[in-house]
Amino acid sequence: MGTIRMARPLGRIRAYARFMGAAFAFNLKATLEYRVNFVLQFFGMLLNNAAFAAFWMVLIERTGAVGGYGFSDVMLVWAFVSTSFGLAHIVFGNVRHLGRIVMEGGLDVYLLQPKDVWVNVLSSRTIVSAWGDFAYGFIVLALTSGTDLQRFALFAALAVPGALIFAATFAAAESLAFFMGNSSAVSSALTEFMLSFSLYPEGIYGPGMRWALYSIVPSGFVAFMPLRVFKSLDWGLVPVLCLVAAVYVGLSYGLFRLGLGRYESGNRMDARV
Amino acid sequence: MAAIVADRLSKTFSTRVRPAGRLSALRSFLRPENRDVEAVKGVSFEVGEGEVVAFLGPNGAGKSTTIKMLMGILRPSGGSASVLGLDPVRDRLELSRCVGAVFGQKSQLWFHLPPSDSFRLLGAIYEIDDDDRKWREAELIERFGLAPFWDVPVRKLSLGERIRCEIAASLLPAPLVLFLDEPTIGLDVVAKREIRQLLADAARIDDTTVFMTSHDMGDIEKVCKRAIIIHHGEVVVDETMKDLRHRALSKKYVGVRYASPVNLDLPSLSPVKRTAVAASYEVDTREHSLAEVVRALAAKGELEDITVEDEPLENVIAGIYSARTGAEAQAFGTGLPGAGRAAPEALGA
Amino acid sequence: MRSGSLRTYSIAASTSMRERLAYPGNFAGSMFTYALFVFIFSRVWAGAYAGATEIAGYTMRMAVWYFIIAEIPSFGFGRFFWTLSRDMKSGQVAYLLARPYDFVSYNYAEKLGGSLAEAGVILAEGIAVGLLLVGLPPAAAPGAAGLASALSEAGRLGFLVVSLLLAGTLNYFLQAALAMTAFWPEENEAFFWIFQKLTLVVGTLIPIEFLPRWAARLAVWTPFPYLSYAPARIAVAFSLPEALSLVARQSLWIFAAVFLARAVFSFGSRRLSVNGG
Repeated sequence: MGTIRMARPLGRIRAYARFMGAAFAFNLKATLEYRVNFVLQFFGMLLNNAAFAAFWMVLIERTGAVGGYGFSDVMLVWAFVSTSFGLAHIVFGNVRHLGRIVMEGGLDVYLLQPKDVWVNVLSSRTIVSAWGDFAYGFIVLALTSGTDLQRFALFAALAVPGALIFAATFAAAESLAFFMGNSSAVSSALTEFMLSFSLYPEGIYGPGMRWALYSIVPSGFVAFMPLRVFKSLDWGLVPVLCLVAAVYVGLSYGLFRLGLGRYESGNRMDARV
Repeated sequence: MAAIVADRLSKTFSTRVRPAGRLSALRSFLRPENRDVEAVKGVSFEVGEGEVVAFLGPNGAGKSTTIKMLMGILRPSGGSASVLGLDPVRDRLELSRCVGAVFGQKSQLWFHLPPSDSFRLLGAIYEIDDDDRKWREAELIERFGLAPFWDVPVRKLSLGERIRCEIAASLLPAPLVLFLDEPTIGLDVVAKREIRQLLADAARIDDTTVFMTSHDMGDIEKVCKRAIIIHHGEVVVDETMKDLRHRALSKKYVGVRYASPVNLDLPSLSPVKRTAVAASYEVDTREHSLAEVVRALAAKGELEDITVEDEPLENVIAGIYSARTGAEAQAFGTGLPGAGRAAPEALGA
Repeated sequence: MRSGSLRTYSIAASTSMRERLAYPGNFAGSMFTYALFVFIFSRVWAGAYAGATEIAGYTMRMAVWYFIIAEIPSFGFGRFFWTLSRDMKSGQVAYLLARPYDFVSYNYAEKLGGSLAEAGVILAEGIAVGLLLVGLPPAAAPGAAGLASALSEAGRLGFLVVSLLLAGTLNYFLQAALAMTAFWPEENEAFFWIFQKLTLVVGTLIPIEFLPRWAARLAVWTPFPYLSYAPARIAVAFSLPEALSLVARQSLWIFAAVFLARAVFSFGSRRLSVNGG
């Protein structure tokens, strides 16, 4: 495995941007081949989110703020999680298939191509329904904050580190496949953890939980902190979040490289399960 | 009495057409446009009791649709069908008691449970009482060699073992008619041979009428006595395997090898393949006498080897499949007008 | 013409149950998700009850137990649509139809049998998690003691089990009616999504009593409360007259749903267009 060239970030960023752009365009075209499916999934996702919006509306109507969040706060948290989650799955569509790919020996294809394996494998697919998630955030934003351009810009700026953090944590959970036989149960549990905790008011969790939500399950950085930044229109914290995202990406990348050293393409699981 | 009768059976599916251009999904939602596709157009044939018939045709010819109509799962758009004297659609329940089915790519067995459990449930579905079932099971276990994996979950069986169980399961209620849709698909040579033997036995021992589709010439040659070929939704061939093979007999492949190079061209016959000392010829026996060709070749030089082979059945069927119309397919290999060599590249010749 | 005996259907149900139990690992995913949901919702309710002891007639403990029971049908009986749709679209239905039984009843026995295993596991898990998070559910007959208390607890348990089974049955026939629209060549998933989300909002995530009055009034005339609200209500606020009324209404909706499923089947199978070819 020592023959795999590490990407030198600065010199090759342009090449990678072009590569990811091409992968993205290709995936987009593939998505549009299944238009009916796309439209169905898009509206299905909106419907799902609308069901939870209805729940919160009913509950907060009865009780007032829950865990310190009013209705619009909950909706904005959903908006951030939805858009970041969507963006992560649009650009890095393989992020939740990585473990399976590793287990089935599917990395071989990517090891043969002259691009960083991690970036290559993650971006070589896109998830159709993710577009619905991506758009949902903006729809909610338009409904709660009107057409204030600055807020839209801030929202978009906060969604990018959010998407990177989502992608990095999901990829890290999936990278466990290098270290354990069949990690799919653990990986999907971790991803579900991360998603579910992010969708509820920060205040309902105890102090012990909150530590976890700003570290191993980074709901704090994809939902709670962006909400505070957004409400106070504090652009100064955007670079901080980007830095946090860089740390998560770095750690996840490191874990993947570490695992790649143990990768054996031959350890393909029996496909008849 | 005929076990299966199809009389001008036809089936038209209505499929939705998506208009081209922008907003096509929306427009097709608002104003759906349907197009009728004739999957089967007026198919007629009869199969006698205890007959073993191969039902052939290229992909999309309408085989599965026809079988589903004969089983009462699909309602014919036109014509009529009768199986064991029953109307498949109207008398579906009654018919289903005497008809078995095996679809190679689908399973009727429970994946995580051993075959014994599936057999028990099938026994209940077909209302066979427990004693009869056990007796019949014992016989099938013996015949199909199921004993070693009778209590092993199906997911742990090889494909060959699974198909053996599938066929045995479909024979549990002792059906009078057995429909098989590509029973040997994906099997290795040994497993295929076993399955063919078991099917031939089933027809002989239980006197079951067997109606099977397959793309495997081996299945057809080893198991079936008669072939019905449909193409473009019509029956283009319905004859005994012997007659079908006769279509092949008009063509011989002659191969020769000489000790030293000779002129390999014959008057009015050129080799289809040649090296300096060897060649092979395609001889249409309606145009050339085989004896004269062999004599002429022997006169050319010192022969080291000579072979004469029939055209493989597969080529005949490939020719029929590659025909563009029903009439062309019917004529293929019979020497009738329009017979020609339809799309020779498809023959691998 | 009806065919197939009770014995056939019970063997089908038990075979399908054993098939599911043969691989207990299958349950791990939904057990985990369920526990996660229950935990998060217990926190949500803790937050909601921060300034109140009772909302819409529910204490916090009732609300948490309500959620525990109301989610069981979603986890145990929420996938009939997909399994039946898959059978129809893959052509597996060719086997299912060509058999001497009544298709709708047989499929009910087989699918419900399989799901009972999962629903039972989730119920046991729910009770354990509930005890851990908020302690015992409120007594079935507060103030009663001794034999009277034991009787009403037993009564509640009996009604709960019956109501859960009815919820599973109603779920099956409604989802089967939706799934069998696959006899027509159109996409039918959108119907199911709408059904699923309405079920979620009307009585699963939150008790009907929390809804605005007009919505609650409207809701009781739809089948949705009888898919999850009925058993959950019996579990947290048991009274014999209300339990009887809920179970009776569940049964009425089952009659309607069976009729609907049979109608869709008989129209649909007449113009069957499962994967031909």
